[in-house]
Amino acid sequence: MSKFKKDGKRSMPGVNTSSLPDIVFMLLFFFMVATTSKETDPTVKVESPEGSKAMDLTPFKQRSEVDFMYLGQPRNPARASQFKMGYALSLDNVVQATPDGLYNTNTIGQWKKDKFEQKPARMTSPIELVITCVKADKTAPSGFIFDIRKELQEINALTIAYAVKDNGNI
Amino acid sequence: MAKREIPEINAGSMADIAFLLLIFFLVTTTMDKDQAYIRSIPKKIIVDNKPVEVEKRNILAIKANSQNQLMVRGEIFSDPDKISEFILKFYRTNQNAPGQYIDNDMPLYSIISVDQIQQNIDVILGEIEAMEAAGTPADMVTFKYNQLAEWEKKQRALKIYGKNELPEIHFQANIRIEVMQATAYSIFAKIQTEIEEAIYQLRDEEAMRLWSVSYGTLKRKEANENDKNKVKEEKDKLDLLDILYPARLIEVTPKI
Repeated sequence: MSKFKKDGKRSMPGVNTSSLPDIVFMLLFFFMVATTSKETDPTVKVESPEGSKAMDLTPFKQRSEVDFMYLGQPRNPARASQFKMGYALSLDNVVQATPDGLYNTNTIGQWKKDKFEQKPARMTSPIELVITCVKADKTAPSGFIFDIRKELQEINALTIAYAVKDNGNI
Repeated sequence: MAKREIPEINAGSMADIAFLLLIFFLVTTTMDKDQAYIRSIPKKIIVDNKPVEVEKRNILAIKANSQNQLMVRGEIFSDPDKISEFILKFYRTNQNAPGQYIDNDMPLYSIISVDQIQQNIDVILGEIEAMEAAGTPADMVTFKYNQLAEWEKKQRALKIYGKNELPEIHFQANIRIEVMQATAYSIFAKIQTEIEEAIYQLRDEEAMRLWSVSYGTLKRKEANENDKNKVKEEKDKLDLLDILYPARLIEVTPKI
């Protein structure tokens, strides 16, 4: 009498794959939570110039200490002629005239002030330190940058950031 | 016909569906960071008196015209990548001879000793006391306190520098960006990049020499460290590098 029963025809049990979807879903949720999608697709075309050794704005974004403005040519070519030199400024997806035309209405100053008032209460930075990040197109004339600076200076928002594309290190 | 067995649903393709979703999200999300050069705008003040004259040797003017041509200190630059080299020269030429007069057109360095810093702190402390007793306006007192903070920063910096004297570039030495209104933003950004690269290199080499860590590591440590004492330590190191190689930028508002 043998202790081990030898059965010539024993089939391999199938691996239970029912938990595979759970694992994959977990991965999926991780990626969905961890990635940040572009919050706004600006109404103007912006291709940032390349640069290196630039500062990463992620920590400022997490503390909502940064506001973005976009400077470029409108996506709708028919509208381009409306603006000085064909460039427009996009604030929260609303195309504004370039700063040059804004001195009377003071749109940038008002926009920045409104943004500052809407900040969460936990943010304690004074307006001088809240960054205004200008994402300007490669071809945009620099004069507009200085017009924006002047507007920001008027309302004492004294920190500006010039966006670039940094391919150096990630 | 009373009891029909319900067949089990085949969940094998569930994984495929989830994979499909996963791959879709992987492809569509952009991981690019927002990167930028942070600059501060000078506070708006109304000045009546004439601006202070700055010696020519202390100014490094980088100009760009409406045709996107570059000029550094009056010389036309065809290769914008060479700007950072020029900036390095601007900082380094007279660095090894602090406190001496050298006859060239680069900024001079001065030295300040531990005792001198202490003296300055004492003087300011005395002034603050006198001001508070006399009841001078608050903003004047704040101004003095800021001055005091500056000197204390220098004192701390000198302590970690490990020497008795702190070399300093001339306090007026500055880099000036002069562009025209029609200059392309890419040129403006290029100038900013070159300046940033030069300053980074100077500070990086100094950090390597002093503590054998790279400047990038220092900055990252300062940003990510939770221990308060350690953050202070890193901050003092960064302050020292900032004092040794200050980045004084003037962005001139274009008139034409």
